[in-house]
Amino acid sequence: MSTVSPKSTGEGKSKSKKKRKKDFEPRIVAFCCNWCSYAGADLAGTSRMLMPPNVRIIRVNCTGRIDISFILDALYQGADGVLISGCHPGDCHYTSGNLKLRSRFVLLKSLLEEAGFEPERVHLQWASAAEGDVFAEGVTKMVERVKKLGPNPVSKGG
Amino acid sequence: MAKRIALAQLSSCWGCDQALVDLHLKLLDVLPELDIVYWPAVVDFKMKDLEALPKGSIHIGMVEGSCRTNEDVHLLKVMREKSKILVAWGSCSAYGGVQGLGNQWSLKELLDRKFMEADTITDPRIPDKYLPGFTEVVQANPDIVPFEVALPGCPPTSDNTLEALSALISGSPYDLPDKTVCDQCPKVREDKHITEFHRTHEGKIDPEKCLLDQGYLCLGFATIGLCGAQCPTVNTPCKGCFGPPPSIKDHGAKIISALGAIADMDPEELKEAFPDPIGSFYFTDYGASYLSKIKEKQRRSGK
Repeated sequence: MSTVSPKSTGEGKSKSKKKRKKDFEPRIVAFCCNWCSYAGADLAGTSRMLMPPNVRIIRVNCTGRIDISFILDALYQGADGVLISGCHPGDCHYTSGNLKLRSRFVLLKSLLEEAGFEPERVHLQWASAAEGDVFAEGVTKMVERVKKLGPNPVSKGG
Repeated sequence: MAKRIALAQLSSCWGCDQALVDLHLKLLDVLPELDIVYWPAVVDFKMKDLEALPKGSIHIGMVEGSCRTNEDVHLLKVMREKSKILVAWGSCSAYGGVQGLGNQWSLKELLDRKFMEADTITDPRIPDKYLPGFTEVVQANPDIVPFEVALPGCPPTSDNTLEALSALISGSPYDLPDKTVCDQCPKVREDKHITEFHRTHEGKIDPEKCLLDQGYLCLGFATIGLCGAQCPTVNTPCKGCFGPPPSIKDHGAKIISALGAIADMDPEELKEAFPDPIGSFYFTDYGASYLSKIKEKQRRSGK
């Protein structure tokens, strides 16, 4: 397998840690579906598209595999944001996995709102294997959104 | 030799004790094997009696209820010190209980609502004299001190408690099953394609068929199977009061994950069907959930 994307190498990691106190560099966990967005991220990398280095990608076979506890666990462990990227509705390799995730996602958003936790820290986007640009843009926007929110309050001081 | 047992009650309704006493004559099988050294619900021992016992001198310590006051925390720590086997008895003890839902608000908001703003109050003040003081949040007891055994339930049925006690008295291990309420439920299940959710009082329930298939939020699929499916058997949807099976970390997250997979609904409709997701999905275990812990850290860091 090729690398995830040229932007998520160890180099960016150590840099963002050092800079953290001065200007905030968010750490974002991205769950990418193997068939669309992971290949899309690959395309963005091989096409040398620019995007912020804040995203750590975790490959899943299908967004339908994502349990809501994965997302909550990531936030509990201090991720500043969680991005989920999957196939467009109708394009799922397993026919309907992404639709299942979409239903979970609205309930998760509503749960986060009720609990008083910023729902903007989680985001769902669709990006196909041919849409490296969509993926890169999604990551850029996600980083902007989370930068506005500031660090995850969980990771502060602990 | 009789085993020394202590049963401590923290903040709770004491329903677990009620369920134990409901064993009636079956209690006689167990009682001769037990030497009760502390059980304020039934016998007149005081805290100082418990504190005077040597360390590790209690064979089985049963802790019911959660820590809402500082006195609860003290009692829990004393119980831990004195007990060889400590049992988190009931959902309050194992997960924080219904009162864990209070963690959606800060302690100050809770006190204001209860003592200052309630409609029936004529002399609003927050009581502080001769009281132990409140804890900031309701945590699951196993997050405060280590436990050897968990026996969740609201309350654990009389037979659950009897079974656990019998095992512990004989020295054999007591592990929670990995099955769910659905495994114990007699109703007929089909492929799930839910197009609409109803509230419990709406429509007419077909007593033969699975309640979830009929669009009632029955949480048996994500709830540990200890109760014998008491509620679904009498056509009442499971509220998930026993908490999740041991392999699942977050009850509500699992429920949402499953609902997303079985609901054939427009996402917005699905959202509207559950206006209070915390209340619906974390009935007795919000105190043990990721979200409650995240919010607690958030409050501590002063944001």
